[in-house]
Amino acid sequence: MKLLKPLLGTLLIAGLLSVNSANAGAVLDKIMSSKTIKIATDANWPPQSFINDDNKMDGFDVDVAREIAKRLGAEVEFITPNWDVITAGNWYGRWDMHVGSMTPTKQRAKVLSFPAVYYYTPASVAVHKSSKVSQVSALSGMKIGTGTGTTFELYLNHDLVIDAEGAPAFSYEIDNPVVKSYETSVVALDDLRLGNGVRLDGVVSSLPTILEAINNGYPLKVVGTPVFYEPLAVTVDLGDNELNAKVASIVAAMRTDGTLTTISKKWYGVDYATVK
Amino acid sequence: MIQDTVTEDIIMRKPKFIAFLFTTIFICFFIFDPSQSIVGHLLEPALGDPEKSGFYGRCVTASMSAVLLVLNLLAISWIPNFRLQVITVWLQLLILFLSFFYSFDLSFEFIRSKIWFMVTQGIFTTLYVSAISIVIASFIAIIGAVAKMSSNGFAYAIASFYTSFFRGLPLLMQVYLIYLGFPQIGYVIDAVPAGIIALSLCYGAYMTEIFRAGIMSIDHGQWEGSRALGFKFGLIMRKIILPQSIPLIIPPTGNQFIAMLKDSSLVSVIGVWELMFLARTLGNKTFNHMEMLITAAMLYWMMTMVLELIQSRIERKYKKQQSR
Repeated sequence: MKLLKPLLGTLLIAGLLSVNSANAGAVLDKIMSSKTIKIATDANWPPQSFINDDNKMDGFDVDVAREIAKRLGAEVEFITPNWDVITAGNWYGRWDMHVGSMTPTKQRAKVLSFPAVYYYTPASVAVHKSSKVSQVSALSGMKIGTGTGTTFELYLNHDLVIDAEGAPAFSYEIDNPVVKSYETSVVALDDLRLGNGVRLDGVVSSLPTILEAINNGYPLKVVGTPVFYEPLAVTVDLGDNELNAKVASIVAAMRTDGTLTTISKKWYGVDYATVK
Repeated sequence: MIQDTVTEDIIMRKPKFIAFLFTTIFICFFIFDPSQSIVGHLLEPALGDPEKSGFYGRCVTASMSAVLLVLNLLAISWIPNFRLQVITVWLQLLILFLSFFYSFDLSFEFIRSKIWFMVTQGIFTTLYVSAISIVIASFIAIIGAVAKMSSNGFAYAIASFYTSFFRGLPLLMQVYLIYLGFPQIGYVIDAVPAGIIALSLCYGAYMTEIFRAGIMSIDHGQWEGSRALGFKFGLIMRKIILPQSIPLIIPPTGNQFIAMLKDSSLVSVIGVWELMFLARTLGNKTFNHMEMLITAAMLYWMMTMVLELIQSRIERKYKKQQSR
């Protein structure tokens, strides 16, 4: 039993050391005093955020995150938790901000706050090259794949509410789809490439992701016009209004001075930063 | 290998069996249609274009492939040395496996550019997370095993509740529960400690049972004898019971470590950059998913092979000690 005491002691100390202050309102102070900001993003979303040839985080979201950090005067440290861990909220200071193409929805707004929308991406439907489907509504009742917990999944389930300012209205064009949810919609694209109707008849994902897949030789094509435009926002944990205001003013400045447009053109070749 | 006293006839020497083998293989090949395969292309001078050879081509290529396979099996059966036989079969299966992967048309250049990072970042993280966890799990297991054998109802209840709970939940769920649940009571733990705690607790529960069985297997008379000599509990454990039960405990513990090495991939869901996480993410930008998955699979396999070797060494060492 002598072993028990030091073991419990170490565990307790390890536990106490890793306790961060999760006080509301203190996040901005913490960033300013430590001169570092922990930003969560996804490593699975080319070209928004991915691991590049030098094994570092890179992409549109990552560039935006770096710019925000620069304007806050802080060093960035990227963290890559699973999407559902991020959207669950209650970050307890594990990371201070999330720049990872999150759509502000009403449900998410219960646990997270969205200080600034920084760009809009079209959500589109992809089918296999050999598919005869020529319009989105023809996919009603078919097997559609997408990422779990995404707005695409909400759209397919006819349960999507976009309450951000300036987002164009949309209508549900696919009725009664058989929704197959994957860890990310990139995995769904992998299943779609196997052939038309082999595992999936179509995939709903962001247009840039689909186009990137097609550029990399996936035998897919885009059907019709985008089904909806997603406003995508910087996310912070609930409670720190000073940080909210600061981030909102930084993103607004980045939009007016053209930085967002430049970054968007760099990664997409198109300006997604302003509403069409 | 079991040393049998009765030597039976080698089955590959029986013409009936060979005929049966040939027919089965032929039917299998015929169903899968090998006329487009390497064999089909080799027979091109005789059969013409594989695509147009039709039913006749299918029959010929299937029977040719079956003949080749049966000849190969016969050749292996003629190898006199057991070890050599094993090595030949291993090599053939390995080549078959690799050529299967090779047919995926993988980008080896991409694998080469990423493999060093997968080793330094991925394997390193996987190994240290598993190693720390197995050490903590062993401590938990000793305490749990003692508690489970104790006559103290309180200790027994806690230990049996612990093993029941942690063996009853999927490890992935434990990872999530610890990572997301601890902050609710005020302790914010990072991803790596959370993963280590989850792995330790889960494997601690399994290993409690292993340790308990190891300790129980020592004859009770030894315990009574030690007590009769006036030894205290801790002394009996350290000097008499554990030294004898450890040789029994080591092999299954090695197994648990190998299993944990692979289960540590579940920690990737909370964003730890270990081997599985890298396998899922590195290929994303250029859509080289298959490359990274296969590379990671090979790396996991190599790691477990090394560990199996180490385990068999340790087992042999204890066997020697016992027989002395």
